[in-house]
Amino acid sequence: MTNSPATISSKLMAALRHAPAIAAAGMVAYAIADGGYIVTVVGFGLIYTIFVAGLNIFMGYAGQTSFGQNAFAAIGAYASAVLTATYGWPPLLAALAGIVATAICAFVIGYPTLRLKGHYLAMATLAIGLIIYEVAVQWQSVTNGYMGISGIPALGIGHYELLSDRAQLIFLAIMAVLSLAASWLLRHSRFGRALVALSGSEDAARALGINVRQYKLTAFIISAIYASISGTLFVHIVGFISPEMIGMNMVILAFTMLYVGGIGTTTGPLIGAIVIGLLPESIRSFKDYQDLVYGAALILILIYAPGGIASLDQVVKKLLRTKAPAKEVAP
Amino acid sequence: MKAASFIALALATTALAAPAMAQETFKVGVSVGLTGYAAAVDRAWRDGLEVAADYVNSKGGVRGRKIQLVIEDNKSEPQEAVTVYRKMISSDKVNIFISGCVSAGNFAAAQFVVRAQIPMMLCSILPPQPDQVKWAYSFLAPPRFEVEKRFAYLKDKTPIRKVGVLHDPSPYANLQKDLAVKAAPDYGIELPVVEQYKQDDADFSTQISKMESAGAKAVLKIGLGGSTVTTAKNIKQLGLNTLLLGSVDDLAVFKPTGETLGNQFLFVAAPAQVYETLPEGALKQEIARFLPLWRAKHGDRDAVWAGKAWDALMVTVAAIDKAQSFDGEAIRAAVETLPPYQGTGGIYSFSPTVHQGITTNPFFMATYENGKVMVKN
Amino acid sequence: MSITTGNILEVRGLTARYGEVTALRSADLDLKEGELIAVLGPNGAGKSTLMRSIVGLTSASGDVRFRGELLPRNAAAVAARGIALVPEGRGIFGPMSVEENLQLGAYMINGRGEDYERRLSRVLTLFPRLKERLSQAAGSMSGGEQQMLAVGRALMADPKLLLLDEPSLGLAPKVTAEILETLAELNRSGLSVLLVEQKAPLALKIASRAYVVVNGRISTEIDTKEITSHDQLARYYFQ
Repeated sequence: MTNSPATISSKLMAALRHAPAIAAAGMVAYAIADGGYIVTVVGFGLIYTIFVAGLNIFMGYAGQTSFGQNAFAAIGAYASAVLTATYGWPPLLAALAGIVATAICAFVIGYPTLRLKGHYLAMATLAIGLIIYEVAVQWQSVTNGYMGISGIPALGIGHYELLSDRAQLIFLAIMAVLSLAASWLLRHSRFGRALVALSGSEDAARALGINVRQYKLTAFIISAIYASISGTLFVHIVGFISPEMIGMNMVILAFTMLYVGGIGTTTGPLIGAIVIGLLPESIRSFKDYQDLVYGAALILILIYAPGGIASLDQVVKKLLRTKAPAKEVAP
Repeated sequence: MKAASFIALALATTALAAPAMAQETFKVGVSVGLTGYAAAVDRAWRDGLEVAADYVNSKGGVRGRKIQLVIEDNKSEPQEAVTVYRKMISSDKVNIFISGCVSAGNFAAAQFVVRAQIPMMLCSILPPQPDQVKWAYSFLAPPRFEVEKRFAYLKDKTPIRKVGVLHDPSPYANLQKDLAVKAAPDYGIELPVVEQYKQDDADFSTQISKMESAGAKAVLKIGLGGSTVTTAKNIKQLGLNTLLLGSVDDLAVFKPTGETLGNQFLFVAAPAQVYETLPEGALKQEIARFLPLWRAKHGDRDAVWAGKAWDALMVTVAAIDKAQSFDGEAIRAAVETLPPYQGTGGIYSFSPTVHQGITTNPFFMATYENGKVMVKN
Repeated sequence: MSITTGNILEVRGLTARYGEVTALRSADLDLKEGELIAVLGPNGAGKSTLMRSIVGLTSASGDVRFRGELLPRNAAAVAARGIALVPEGRGIFGPMSVEENLQLGAYMINGRGEDYERRLSRVLTLFPRLKERLSQAAGSMSGGEQQMLAVGRALMADPKLLLLDEPSLGLAPKVTAEILETLAELNRSGLSVLLVEQKAPLALKIASRAYVVVNGRISTEIDTKEITSHDQLARYYFQ
């Protein structure tokens, strides 16, 4: 029995299921070893992994829509930038202040807006992103407007500063792994199951005793905190922040990563962020056609792996099933 | 997995291909927004650099090395700028940067450029950090020159003493607006109305009427592009005799605006835009070196930003010749000690304390009438 | 009808509106402890609205008492009292595994621990087919299995009162019979059941009484022993 084709293919399937995530992790390792500018690309990818992992909790697990996650990245980013560069706070303390501010904002924003559903929620969150962007532009005394804030120190505690590219990348990798681990634990907790349940049917979830509104709000705040952390990491790595860096393009990029990687899957954000981060670099030699090739690649991925690269094993399974007749038919 | 391995393969091939012809050229990294909001200026900057590099190479290059441009599109986005800068630092190992006008992109990348000890010649304003300014040189005229030229014109040539300011929210326009507010009293000018607009607004009638009713007889327009044409059309529609004073821009903007408002529209012109009317001298000579080459390749296209890019490369070449070295620090230091350099956009006088080279106002006031640019001062 | 202590559920004057439309008008209903009763009626009569209103999923007016205590109009709180609903269309969570669905059924006790294991083994004894499919995505199962899961999930809450909304929907007659037989068995072991069903003959086989809902009103209460033919039943529907 152990040698039957079924067993072998099921083992292969299990391996295949983890292959995309392992490949993405492999790219991170390669970047750490290589140390070239790929460090920057992968570094951004890891920061986006955290941002998208947060979005995934709200969108993938809880089935809601938010076009305004850039607002929370902005709060984290500007809190860290202003408090460290202007007021000389240590980065960790500034990051915590950013997280607290983000959580409060997400609560205040989410409490009224999460009554809305579908398109209305999407529009409301979109507005939040635009408002925070405008605040970053207009509140010049604090944000310095379009000129941005520079001179943001590197990450560090006390006298230890993460200055080298490799050290920063390793730190980002650790943060990304922790974020994904937290996301996995959350998904497999009572809370996570409740989120997936309410995304399937709010009424069915309510009938099981789930407090739908409270859970949606909690998921929103958690995803906002993820965004805040990614914003903080971003400003400390780049050392500069301006409103253009927290605009709508951030949301579009994150959505692409989420869907390409696999919405609702734990490792999807990592896969999506690394693939979407590296894709333009791998086709940079196409010069003027870079955007065209990028678009074509995206379309191909979404056609052939509609559930995202993380569920590539499902695609292969389906292919095998159409080739070989099904062995058992469910009653 | 397929996608990942494809990417790994692609990366591996580019990594292998990159260092192949690294020798015997002087590499100039160019971070430009070929797409996005900066595209108009940055494409001109890139094209100007190409003309300049061809010219230098046709004369045998610099200290025996040909100039090789490494051009990367930063999509006018700061994060993308960081990526392309770092690519050019670690993969292409460029010797110097001569980058476009995406200020935030240049700022965001500055700390990495400084760490790599590579000088950067910029079309944009200087980054704010002192340690970054040390490595950066700006070829932009100080924003106050554009404002002062217009105020001086009003004071010397017109009775107008009340002016409305109409500016976009970009950093450069904001900076100019603040300078205008500060400088106005020196010219006996009042600014009763200061209004901000967005680049994609389609109508400024409200702002213009507001200025008119506040007694402002001229509009100081700060900001690039089609919004200037829109402002002119609105003034015409409202039937006002208000003067429109445009900031430095492309001839492609000045032409339709002039065709709408005639001599009611005055603009700050860069030397290359009024070349034909310039008196003989060093400035005209330098433009004469560049302009035929530019026109041979790009015809009627505005030469202002391309000319500045030319200037940036010529200053770089002069610094290398002076330093007798391709070393980043040596070039950086040499720029500070160069004698004043006559470029197409004015005279660049860099020093250890001055990294924005244009220190005397190079601009002219001009109109566009009957298909021709006319100098008015 | 007087309020008697023997009732597990008493519904009085329950009225539900969707905008301008009144889907349920002043419904009265009693369910005795340990009873299995059916709510019958044609499609769109208001049966589902009645069920949803009882558990607090609509903003209905009127009183619903559970063992004499007024129920809040909040589904999560109603669930906490020990009332489980198998919603119309099953409401199983397709992307989640069968086990996760069952864990969600025991949401009130956190989906783990000794109590959970006890309930799980009971449900899996009742529906052995679910045991083979614990790690499978619920959505990939057949309709019959999904219905078993829906019932099993409701039982995981260890309810005192089980409400089922059209469990036969979209199922083969054989599978429906199997599920209804399980319900009868659960009822015999003491569980109170309120069953909404469009296929009256099936429901009447296991119910002791039935209410007929027509046009948002409970029009008739029938003793199932009195029903002997389809004709008789049809009269209740169209009177």
